[in-house]
Formats: sequence, C-alpha cells, structure tokens
Amino acid sequence: MSKMKKLTALLLALVMVLALAACGGNGDDTTNDTGKDTSKPQDSGSDTTEDTSGPALVVTEFDSSKTYTINSGVGSIYSNWNPHTYQEQTAGTQLDYLSDGFYQFIFNDALHPVEGKDPFTTYVIIPAMAAGDPVDVTAEVKAAHPDWIPEGGESGFAWKIPLRTDLQFDNGHKIDAHTFVESMKRLLDPEKLNYRATDAYTGGSGIAGAEAFAKAGTYALSEFVSAACGDDEYVDPANFTLTDAGTYQYDGKDIVLDINSGGNWGDDGIKAYEGQVPQADRLIAAANDKGWVYLTPDLLKDLQDIIAMLHGAADVEAYAATAEDYAYQEFEEMAFFGQTYPEVDYDETVGFYAASDYELVIVYKSSLSGFTLYYNGGLTGNFYLVDPEVYDACLTSTETASGTVWTSTYMTSVETSPSFGAYSLTDFQTDKHMHWSKNPTWYGWTDNVNHVYQDPEDGNVYRFNQATDIDWQIVEDDDTRKLMFLHGELDSYSLRPADTVQYRSSDYCYNTPGYTVFFMILNGNLSAIQEREAAADFDKTKYDLESMTLLNFRKAFAVSFDRDDICASIMPYYTAGYGLYGDAQIYDPETCAFYRDTDAARQALCDFYSVDVSKYASLEEAADSITGYDPETAKVLFTQAFQDALDAGYITDENGDGVSDQTVTIYMSRDSDSDAVHKLDEYLDQKIGDVVKGTPWYDEATGTAKISFELSPILDDWVEPLRNGQYDYNLGGWGGSSMDPFNTFEVYVNPNYQYDAKWFDASQHTMTTTVNGEEITMNLQQWNNALNGTPVTIGDKTYCFGSNDMDLDSRAEILAKLEGVILNTYDYIPMINDGSLYLSTMKTYYVTEEWNPVLDYGGAKYTKYNYDDAAWAEYCEAQIAEHGQLQY
Amino acid sequence: MLKYTLQRILYMIFVFFVITFMCFVLVRMLPPPRLPPEDPHTEILELRREALGYNEPYLVQFWLFVKNLFTKFDWGLSEKLYFGRGVWEVFVEKLPATMVVNLYSILWTIPVGIALGIWAALKKNTWVDYTISTLTMVVISVPSFVYAFVIQYLLCFKLRLFPFVMKPGTDWLSWEMFKSIVPPILSLSFGVIAGFTRTTRAELTEVLTSEFMLLARTKGLTKTQATVRHALRNCFVVIVPGIFGEFIGILGGSLIIEKIFAIPGVGALTLNAINGRDYNIFMLSTCFYTAIGLAAGLVVDISYGFIDPRIRMGSKK
Repeated sequence: MSKMKKLTALLLALVMVLALAACGGNGDDTTNDTGKDTSKPQDSGSDTTEDTSGPALVVTEFDSSKTYTINSGVGSIYSNWNPHTYQEQTAGTQLDYLSDGFYQFIFNDALHPVEGKDPFTTYVIIPAMAAGDPVDVTAEVKAAHPDWIPEGGESGFAWKIPLRTDLQFDNGHKIDAHTFVESMKRLLDPEKLNYRATDAYTGGSGIAGAEAFAKAGTYALSEFVSAACGDDEYVDPANFTLTDAGTYQYDGKDIVLDINSGGNWGDDGIKAYEGQVPQADRLIAAANDKGWVYLTPDLLKDLQDIIAMLHGAADVEAYAATAEDYAYQEFEEMAFFGQTYPEVDYDETVGFYAASDYELVIVYKSSLSGFTLYYNGGLTGNFYLVDPEVYDACLTSTETASGTVWTSTYMTSVETSPSFGAYSLTDFQTDKHMHWSKNPTWYGWTDNVNHVYQDPEDGNVYRFNQATDIDWQIVEDDDTRKLMFLHGELDSYSLRPADTVQYRSSDYCYNTPGYTVFFMILNGNLSAIQEREAAADFDKTKYDLESMTLLNFRKAFAVSFDRDDICASIMPYYTAGYGLYGDAQIYDPETCAFYRDTDAARQALCDFYSVDVSKYASLEEAADSITGYDPETAKVLFTQAFQDALDAGYITDENGDGVSDQTVTIYMSRDSDSDAVHKLDEYLDQKIGDVVKGTPWYDEATGTAKISFELSPILDDWVEPLRNGQYDYNLGGWGGSSMDPFNTFEVYVNPNYQYDAKWFDASQHTMTTTVNGEEITMNLQQWNNALNGTPVTIGDKTYCFGSNDMDLDSRAEILAKLEGVILNTYDYIPMINDGSLYLSTMKTYYVTEEWNPVLDYGGAKYTKYNYDDAAWAEYCEAQIAEHGQLQY
Repeated sequence: MLKYTLQRILYMIFVFFVITFMCFVLVRMLPPPRLPPEDPHTEILELRREALGYNEPYLVQFWLFVKNLFTKFDWGLSEKLYFGRGVWEVFVEKLPATMVVNLYSILWTIPVGIALGIWAALKKNTWVDYTISTLTMVVISVPSFVYAFVIQYLLCFKLRLFPFVMKPGTDWLSWEMFKSIVPPILSLSFGVIAGFTRTTRAELTEVLTSEFMLLARTKGLTKTQATVRHALRNCFVVIVPGIFGEFIGILGGSLIIEKIFAIPGVGALTLNAINGRDYNIFMLSTCFYTAIGLAAGLVVDISYGFIDPRIRMGSKK
C-alpha cells in the first residue's frame, strides 16, 4: 500500500512539475499569511534555472552574489564531531551540516504530495544520497548468507540502496558504495573501541554480524542468560556443563556474575550486600579484578540463596516451595554469558557490503519496513561515512598501563573535517566559534528533483537551504544572548520565564510542543521511609513520612495542583500534562498521528480523572475538559488519608482535636540549586497549604499546614536517592522516542528504568483486557513485551502485538489501558507537558507556520530570508538608532 | 641566599609531587560518570577505561604518567571534553585568551590603584581621601560579575561602544580583539584597583607618619623626594607581593567573566575536567597551577630580600 502511495505521489509530482513549467509561476507576492515582513530587499526570484536532468522544472534561484548567514549563540561547541566517536548530542548537530543521509524528511508540498493531506501538513521521505528507493533483497541475501537472517525471516532484513554517482567529499575524494563499507570497517575495528560502534549492532539499526566483528578477539560479557534465551525463558541449570576449572558453561559460553551490576534487576549488584550475608562475601571474594565471578556449583547456590533472601525466604530451597523451578532460575536475570569472540573476516561476517560500485546492501538483525526502515534503520542519517584517507591519517595510538589505545583527530578541526553535506567547515576555534560555508561540491545545490520545494505562498519552486553560511559562537550567558538577539546579532533566543509575559504574543515567537510529560514522582518506598524514621535524629512525635505512601494521600495529591497555574507561575513555556505521554507523542509515524488524539488515550485520561463522558458531546470534549485540579475532592481524600494514617499507626492525634500531631514532610531530591527548583518547592508548599485547609492536615489554631515540601541538600544525582527512597519527590519524565510510545512504555515496567522499581514490581501486577474478542490476563512486563513484538506464552497460547502483528489503533488501545494502570499506582502524578518558546529573528521566516514533530518548522532547509546579511546590518542599525533595539 | 633558594626549590619539588600524586589518585577515585541504564555505549566506555589502564593499580598508572611526562613531555590525550586531542595542545590553545584579558587588565589597574592609594594617603583626612576610601569600599564589596552585567548593558547594549563578547580568532594583539575585550578588562579591573588603592593608602599612611620620614624632611628633602625615595620604597614591601600575585593570576581565568563575555580561556577547564572525569586535562591544569603557585611563593619570598635589604632569607639569627 505504501509503495502504491509513493507511485501516486511521484505521478502527481510529475504532473505538478509540468504544470508549473507551463505556467512559469514567478509571482511577486511579498507577503505571507503570518503578517510578518517578507518584503524583499532580498533574495528570491532574481534568477531561474532549468533542471537539465528531467522535466523542465523552473527553479527560482537565490541571489548568489549575496550572503545569508544563520547566526547562533550556543551554550557549547564540542571539539569532536567524528561520526565514529562523538558522544554529545550537540556534536551530532555540528556533524549534520557536514553530512547527509541516504534519504531525507521533507514537508509534503505540490512537488511531493501526500494523498489526503494539505501541503506542509505532514512529511514525506525522499532520496538524498540514494538514487532511488531501497530494494528488499532478503531472499537473495539469505540464500548466500543464511547466518545473517533468522530462520523464517523472509523480508525486511536485507535492503539494497542505490547510490547517486555524483557523491564526493569537499576535498574532491569520490564517494561510492566501497567508501561506505570502508567506513563501516573502521567504525567496527575492534582495536579502535569507537564509541559509536555499538550503534551499529544495537537498537533498530543493528547490522547483522557487526557485533561479532567489533568484538573479535575480545572476551566480553554479552546478554543476560535469561535475555539470551528469550524474554521469560530460562535455562534449567541442570543443562549447564562444567569446565575443567569447575565453572559453569552453557552452549560454550561462561555463566558469569558481575558483582557490580544487578543485571536485569537494575541495582548495584551483589557488592551492595557485602558484609551482610556470608553468601555475598563468598561471591565478592571470588570476583576477579573486573568484578566478574565465574559461577561454580557452590557459588551458584550462594547466588540463588541471596535471591531467595531478597524474596524473604531463608534459602533457595525454601523459596522453591512457592516459586518452584523459577527459584533456581531467577539468577539468570542477573548473570551474563561470557565468551571470547573469535577472529573473523569482515566480508564473511558483517552484513554491510557493496553489491556494486553504486549499490550498497545493508542487512539488519531485525525486519524493518516503511517508516521504521528509514527512521529506526538509520537511513536518514549519515551512516558513519568517513573519508578513509583522511581518517587513517588522523589515527594515533598511545601506550597505556594496559597496552595500546587508539584515538583519532578526525573531525576535530577544519583540516580534518571532509564534508559530504550542504556545508563545509571553514573555521573552528575551541570553545569559541564554528563557521560553515556552502559546500560547492555538494550535489544538492544542483539537484532540481529532491532538493527543491514549492513555496506555499508564491507558488515558485525554490532550492532548500537559502542560507549560505552558518555561524555558531559560544554565548553561555542567557542575558548576553538576549541582548545580542535584540541587536540582531543572533537569530533566535529561547525565552526564559521572565521573558514570556513580554514576548509570548510576539509575531516572532514560536512554540515547540514537547512529547515528554514531567510527572511528580512520589516516594512509595515504605521500607526505606521506615528506615529513615528509625534514625536517631528523626522526631516521630513531630514528623511523619509514611503517610505519603497511602493511596488516598497520593490520590489527593493528584488533584491538589492546578497544572495551568504551575505552568503560568513557574514554567510559562510548558503546558499542563495529564497522562504519561505528551501532546506531541506520535504513535503512527506514517501519518504523523498523535497518540493523545486517539479515543483510547482520551478515554484513559477520562477514566483516571473520573470524567463522566456522557455529560459531554464527544469524548474529545470530555478529555479537553480535564484540568486535573479539584481541591474539594482533594480535601475529601486528605480526610480519608488522615484516618488511614491513624489506623496504620503512621500518625497520632493525642489530644483528639482531629488534627495530625505530625507534619508529613516531603523532601525534594535535587541535584541543583536553581531558581526553578526553589520556585517549584515554594509553589507546592504554598498550594498544598491552601488545599489542606479545613482538613485534619491543617492546624487552625496555629494556621499551619501539616504537610510541607522541603528541599534536600544538593546531591550529585537526584534519581538514585529518589529510587532508593532516601528523598521523596521530584518532577521527572522520559524522552525515549517521540514516535514510538509503545517502546517507551518499557520505562514503567523495567526495573532498570523505573523510578518506582524499589516498591513496584511490574511482574507481579496483572492487567486483564479484551484483545480481538479474547479476554487476556498478563502481568505488566508481559504486556509490554507482547506490545513490542516479543511473543509471550500464557498457558498454551502465545500472544504478540508488535507492529507486524497488529494494527496501530488496536495497539494504541492496549497502550492506553496500560497507561491507565500505571497512572492508578499514583507513583507518577502527571503535572506538566514539555515545550519551549523562542523568538526567531526578523531577518528570516519559515516557509510554513505548521509545526511538525519531525521537521519542527523546517529548520535551515525551509528558512527564507527577508534580508541578506548586508541589508540586515543596515536594518538593525536603523532600528537601534531609532528604538535602541529591535522591536519584537 | 643561594642555599636558601636551593632548599626552597627542593621543598617545592617535593610538595609538587605530593600534591600531584594526591590529585592523581583522588580524581581517579571518583566514580566514572554514569550513562543511563542499559545504554550500550557503557560497554565501549568500560572497554576504553580498561584499555587506558584506568583499572590498573594507581601506582602503576602514576608511574606511567610521570614517565611520559618526563621522557616525552606527554600529558596524554583528552578522553572526554576534547576527545582525541592532546591536552597540552588544548591547554596552550586556551591559555592566551585568559592571559591577554588579564594582562591588559593589570597593566592599567596596578598603576591606577597605586596612584589612587598614594593620592589618598597624601591627602589623608581630606575630601579626596574620604571619596577614594568610600569608593574603594563600595567597589571592593561588589563582585566582578555585577560590573560585567552593568558594563555589558551600558557600554555594549545601550551605548554600543564595544561588542558583547570577545571576538573569535587568535589575533590577540589586534585592535579589534582589544576592543572586544575592553568590557571584560573593565569588569576585572575595578576590584583590583580598589584592592591596590586600599593597600597602598594604608601602608603609605603609616610610613608617612614614621620618624624616619621626619628625619628625611629635616635633612632637607622635599616632601616629594621623601615620599618617593623613602616612604614608597618601604610600603612596597607589602605591595610588590600583591603585584606578583596579580601577574601570576594572569594565568588563571575567571569562570564567570569568561562565561559572560564568551572568552575561550581556561577558567572552567579544571571544573569541567572533574565533572567529565577527563583525567589528563585535570592533571595538566592541576600540575600547571600547582607549579605556578609554588614558584610564585618562592619568587615573592625571595623578592622581599631585594625590596628591603633588612630582610634576610634563611638566616638563623
């Protein structure tokens, strides 16, 4: 079906192109519907060229005698943007200007239409460095290399990418399929230990055989034993074999415990139990200098006993009385397979090779197609391409105490940064400045098919990237950045809370919605709380912590705060957040559809906030009515929580005045001392004080609330103390993937990620729902696995609801149900939805005002100029002389 | 004097090694920065740490560090902040920006500060003295970043006399570069001027009331002659170490001033190296500033003997 759409799109594009050519559209319209100044002392319309390779498409060229610069003030410029070694996201952006993808995202327009969508309302994926669409060659590759493709894998694993023949670096070195292969060899070279090498064999773009080549000759721990056998699959230890040294092996691989890693358990490992039980001490004593323990029968028994003790049993035999075989197998979630990877030949091992000079074959470890092929498969990224000649000259080795280690100066300076992207690096000064100028050798500047768009206002066809230069300079201080922006020296300025009143209604203010919801993570770790209360300096007659773990107390919290008011008071660029997923979370990348707009997601929120949908004209209207703020209900719940706390013995009411003798003190776990932290804490403290008036948590006689928010000392890290129950709350959220909420759900059920891992075991909580007419009950981890394509067997039935097994709307329904279950734990109380506001310069405007989660407002590609650099300088001079600053 | 100097140098080398070793061990004892759970890059980072020898005993690592330093003057490569680049190269690239701002600053602040101090002392208990003393107290009480904001707003934004930030490039002595660093120079200067003014005034006031000054005048010297030849020389025993301190301070960057005016200097280098666990950068900056500090202490101590011949270093009597 998607291929059909693409064919239709191409035909329509051809028709449009011919029509344009016939009309010769070259309008003089100087305004757009934004009301912003798009009059041109400028640019466009000064010259036209015709495409010589295809139909007579008239492209309106920008004036090549003028310069158009993007001036950015950034907080950091990294000094390494090597695609094999860079570590920071900003460095990736620095690299983006110098690189290109096989394919690219662009807005749909008249030249690249999408059926049923108005121009500039969604995105399409078209070739960039590729010469055409990828071709599925799974069957062909499987016949030649059956080891690369899993049994039963018939399609979507191997793809042939046809390459353009005019690709080159800006130093003149040609690029063909062999260049990509040579780059991959260098990336995966086991000696080099390149930071990005793991990207080539993990995640969605994992390449078949890449891991075996990258780890050749090294002994390494790989997967957990349980994970290697498939989630929820375990090996009977009786099937292990013993080596001559008396250690266990399975399938030729060692069974290894890392005492510093809890494995799938997500804590600090057995080392944390040192001195507490003899079994832990024996394991620690057996560890080598890396902390690895090669398990022997005795050591395995020790490990099994420790796990049994963590479940409250005396030893593994006692635990087995209830857990049966699982008691003996559970350690497999903590133990790794260890093996020495054999030396291998690249060509025979790695599924990334040149089928011809201009055809590249990529073999993935998993089946990919459609959007996931392009996006998750990395085809829109640079795919680790380097100039082998320059790259090799940049390598240096250093002798260390342990041998030799390699580093590279590739992409750390102008001289070592060959570009195959739209711009070339022309200046770099460490921690100060970076400048890119148009790369004249880039094929895109002359490509009139895939690097042009039709302007929605004047109907003319323009080339992407009007900017001739990009300039970054370090401006760390926000105040300095603002002053420079107001003098026209920078092109954008991210608004801070203090700026929003003045600028949020400006014509030049842009809002970027976010897909992350920040929720209040509230401590529910009762055992840790009781330990804190047992401390000598804790006065139980005056303070209490336990009550915050009561469900009614937490429910009351959920409706005590006006989210809109929080945003307005503290974080003006955010919006209220109500669920686990934000407003900009896409669930269908093919159509750019938002999860929160689905009926299932709306219903989940209505259920959680007890909205009576029947009172509204539609589910959408009902969901829109949610404010999450109901102080009257909060008072009722707090009163119930008071009684619950008394019954549980958490608090007392000695004088019988119906007021708690103790104050519930809730400490923020924090790692900074910013204004925002103080404002948030003060805000919550004040608002909870208002809400509890008239409840047993408010002492009328003294006028003080019996619930208070306090700040912790400044910690190195706020997450672990909160997970461990040492402190009680913070606002946190998950980024994950903006286009795959199903995958992101793992963070709520995997103890490695869960903020509430120490008191909420997702494997012990079940959910029952009807799928395809069948009522299914599984625990939350099983639901998560099934939803993400891992088959889960319950009884004699196997369930799998991955992207290849079920339609998206049905998956969204399951996800919404799971979201409801997690929300009802009240471990995460949604508060605010991520977002940002920024001012964009008068110098430029975006071709479209439509925000898009993939393309944003189009970025540099779709930025057009009202003024060239010289005209802008004159304009700023005049404005500043008249007004003292630019008027935004 | 020579014996004393040699003795001090030996002590200095010993202290330098002790400090270096302590820093070497302490920074490595910090836990490596954590990546998110299950981040596959953790594996590579751990393998690199292994390959870099960070899991070897500290003494083995320290020996290699010292060996490379003394045999090849090799400070190692940056593993985090400037991955792949030699840390000495990075340090040397960043040092001039800091030095040029500080140098311009002290070139005018020391003379001006001393001159104001002399003027205030000579005009003791007049309106000149009161004005200078009051302003000195006010200026000295306000941190330099406050001046930075005021100067940036007034001189750069309102009056448009100077650029907002230091200009890119390495033409340290060009007019354009000088113009772009006037705001940070001014921001750094007020406190220094006030400090020298206060010290000079206090010392000179005391010296001017000494009996030998009266003797000098009774011998027929003019007030100016007595002040310049006798009073100033005496109060320089206190001022000169301060001048040395300022010149040594040229090498140390101001974290906040460098941030506000985008000076690509060394101000944040040590802190960033600790946060990023970039051991080699941390060790270079630590060793550099330790050595400078120790050497400065020695130079200052020795200078006392030249300024005031009554002071004899290392004398037992």
